Amino acid sequence: MPEELPSLFLSYYSKLIEKECILLSFERIFGGASRETYKIEVSHDVDKIERLILRVTQDSSLIETDQKTEYLAYSAYQNSSVPVPVLLDMSEDSDILGAPFMLMKELQGAAASPFTPNIYSPHEVELGEQFWSILGEIAKKEIQEDIFKSFLRELKEPCWKNELDKWAKVIHEDSIGVEPILEAGIRSLYKNPPKEPERITMVHGDYRSGNFLYLDDQITGILDWEMAHLGNPLEDLAWALSPIWSWQDKERPAYLIEKEKAIEIWQNSSNINLDRKDLQWWELFAAVKGMAIWISAGNEFKSGKNIDPINLFSAWIPGDIHLEVILDILEDSL
Amino acid sequence: MKPDINIALLNAAQEIINRFSPLIDDEYEKSRLSSWGALILISAMKFNDSGSSLKQENADILDWLLKFTNLDEDDISKYGYKVTSEIQDVSLMDADNQTLRGLLDREIIVLEGKEDAEGLKASYLLMRSMHQRRKVSDLVGLLQESES
Repeated sequence: MPEELPSLFLSYYSKLIEKECILLSFERIFGGASRETYKIEVSHDVDKIERLILRVTQDSSLIETDQKTEYLAYSAYQNSSVPVPVLLDMSEDSDILGAPFMLMKELQGAAASPFTPNIYSPHEVELGEQFWSILGEIAKKEIQEDIFKSFLRELKEPCWKNELDKWAKVIHEDSIGVEPILEAGIRSLYKNPPKEPERITMVHGDYRSGNFLYLDDQITGILDWEMAHLGNPLEDLAWALSPIWSWQDKERPAYLIEKEKAIEIWQNSSNINLDRKDLQWWELFAAVKGMAIWISAGNEFKSGKNIDPINLFSAWIPGDIHLEVILDILEDSL
Repeated sequence: MKPDINIALLNAAQEIINRFSPLIDDEYEKSRLSSWGALILISAMKFNDSGSSLKQENADILDWLLKFTNLDEDDISKYGYKVTSEIQDVSLMDADNQTLRGLLDREIIVLEGKEDAEGLKASYLLMRSMHQRRKVSDLVGLLQESES
């Protein structure tokens, strides 16, 4: 953390709320490789403590996304059935805190590691029903016109090609070794494209175990919207279902409830009739997209741009798993 | 070198995870150090067989290329790979490995074009064995145990 960040923040926040504040704590949260995230406590009136979350763009991040994307995505779901933190401010200006940032109110709850089995026990059923239902709500929500238009600028149709081109480019730019399994997976995707969706929806882009907050048996917030975009809702479903998020219990995606039950809840919530063949395409795509992210992490690490151990971990463990998922899918399709 | 390098790394990982990490109050720095401990643990476990695994992988790819493609040893050597029984250092074997992987990928495209199911099946079997030998994801459970 830059030494001056807490004092810069204090001065900025006092100005924002037009009150003299006292900084009680300022801690960086470990994890996530696209933003530096800080948990902050400030007081400005006697007995009044505010708990805030600050997300600061990193110099070197895995996926280059601007702060505005995340802010707009959160904005789209304020006061909706999709629980998200209350937004306070956003700036693309680096002069205030040294980098673009977004400020939110802290939600109650904790995020789990996506790689720990039974992490949601004993509430996996309740949390599972909410997790898949909220994902359906994300797809169902009519997005406010001005926000929709902002995202629309980046959408080229067909959606599948738009996304596949994007991630294949990342793979080929950042790759640090020849990976025949991955290349075979990419070719298979281009050769057998899915249908276009009946309706273009908001796609969270990283909806999975580990990216939501929960408190006992309640999901209190959906986080990490920096990869949000418009597209095919099956992209989110397939990403959340990916076996990587329940590697030691593949029958229960995200270590929550069984896959078929999860899909049924999602269909009921989203009002979308699922095409299984298209879902299979998006499941293979999810593993390829994952590989792009893990390869990018490995590249950051190898080049020395960002030696956070999370980048090495990403390249080794999730990179391994998604490669195996691709091979499993290719073998099944032969 | 005695004690072996992997033993040194194993002990370093244990010291980091169990001794030094608990001394840190800052949650971010503590998690970051523990992650390093876990990654050093993985390195220690894969260290001893990294050279022999690479050598075996190169031999397996070469066998596959000779059996399922029109390439012979001369063709393959033109791409920079020389069949040798000499002991090589890991970086040389890795450079060979990249050459062979490139050829494997190229020849799989040929098989896909011909819709040669038998050749493709054999290529998937080869890639499965390559992946099995390299992968570290089966150590996830072990890492969780070491951190608990």
